[in-house]
Amino acid sequence: MSNDEIFAAAYREHYWAVSRYVARRLDGRTSEVEEVVAEVFTVAWRRRTDLPATPLPWLYGVARNCLANAVRGQGRRRRLVDRLGNDETAHGRQVVASPDTEPPGAWVHEALARLTPADQEVLRLTAWEELAVDEVAVALDCGTRAAAMRLHRARRRLRTEIDRIRPALAADVNSPKEHGHA
Amino acid sequence: MPDELDLLRGANPVPADGPHFGDGPLGHDAERRLNQLLHGSGPFGRRRTRWMWSLATVAVVAVTALALLLAGPDTVPAVAAPRPLLVQAGSTPVPLARMAEIAEAAAADGSPTLRKGTHVQTWSMGMSEDEPPITLPVERVVRWRADATHTELVVATDPRHPGRPVLSEGDGQPRMVEDGHVISEQTFGPSWSDAPPESTPPHDPGLLKAYLQETQYPSTTLTTRELLDAVRVLLDHWTLGAPEDAAVARLLADAGGLRPVGRVTDRLGRPGQAYVHDGQGSRKMLIMDPATGAVLGLEDTATSAEPEWGLKVGDVMDYSAWMR
Repeated sequence: MSNDEIFAAAYREHYWAVSRYVARRLDGRTSEVEEVVAEVFTVAWRRRTDLPATPLPWLYGVARNCLANAVRGQGRRRRLVDRLGNDETAHGRQVVASPDTEPPGAWVHEALARLTPADQEVLRLTAWEELAVDEVAVALDCGTRAAAMRLHRARRRLRTEIDRIRPALAADVNSPKEHGHA
Repeated sequence: MPDELDLLRGANPVPADGPHFGDGPLGHDAERRLNQLLHGSGPFGRRRTRWMWSLATVAVVAVTALALLLAGPDTVPAVAAPRPLLVQAGSTPVPLARMAEIAEAAAADGSPTLRKGTHVQTWSMGMSEDEPPITLPVERVVRWRADATHTELVVATDPRHPGRPVLSEGDGQPRMVEDGHVISEQTFGPSWSDAPPESTPPHDPGLLKAYLQETQYPSTTLTTRELLDAVRVLLDHWTLGAPEDAAVARLLADAGGLRPVGRVTDRLGRPGQAYVHDGQGSRKMLIMDPATGAVLGLEDTATSAEPEWGLKVGDVMDYSAWMR
């Protein structure tokens, strides 16, 4: 297969996983996801000679950088929101079931939000993208040992924050799983 | 007790088996973008073309000249980003709390009333890594009918320069079009969504705050900056009545962080009172009607340069002006 064919296969296989990755980090601003994902794959196309045999963690790494740019590119993001303002899927409705209920996992998100961005990302990659430590290392562009250490420390800090928020924690937690990669 | 990773898994906001972004065939837009990448059209194709020209500059001088000649009217001009509104020298700033009082007084008779849909003129900057920023002026009108259907009309126009060609973007390629060029005109089927910003906004400031939080940032308490973003979303969906205008004014006054700077004339020629919020990387300026306290506009100006995007300090990245 040529580089272009390998890229096209990765695009088709991982488009939705990358979309979920982006959507999880845009805090419900669903209308912006499509444009950021387009940018992720445009950057990945430019760097397609670097595409590894297991491309998804690498694509997550590209997406992480694109999201950082998207946060800076306020004007561009605004334009997209304007364009997609009537999108029925927009505005976080996949997060909030109804105006009268607390968003699922809101307090866990609150605990997560108290951590540093680096801690948050290693935890999200592990829990939401379900990456193994060696895959986290690819996504974060660091060594496996460093990734394992970051995860260990981040877990401990998350635990501390959870204990602060909910000392008496209910144990019945659903665990939807990520599929289709790795 | 579940461990912290289990708890985090349970709080996944976009699970793979959820209602959105689930695995499956690509949509039309995703397929089109893949084709653009594979076959060299779109922004990346342009970049590659430029690079090839630079490799063979001497040999293709004549060809380049011809290409520039033929490109003529479709060539995107180098347009400087719009400058921020000027505060009138010597004008007296009106505190936002006073503006909220004005809005509350104006709402005493309950008119005008709330209407679903919007009428907004925007100037939005588009950026790329290899082209200078461009600003796209767009007018958008959304009207809802009694049967819960709605229409949306989007045209390219710049009311500051009526009748003159304007820059527009079709299929990712910016080009000059005539004033009033219809970008899209769509009718949407019935929708009875009961979630903000589609549900009716309340006119109690406390309830409105909760509504706006759900609109934009459901998991965290709104900062003033986020509140301004949420107000923008609200105004992009609703034409507020006087009671809702008063609630917005009170909410913003109570939020703090908005500094009154004085009188301005907005891009539609309307008099306004301006309030500034300085944040990281940009400054937001809220423009309010001095007679009614209604929000007239919101301007977002860069306060730090982003050389990789061609963004300079003082460039207006986004400007929205709402009308009834």
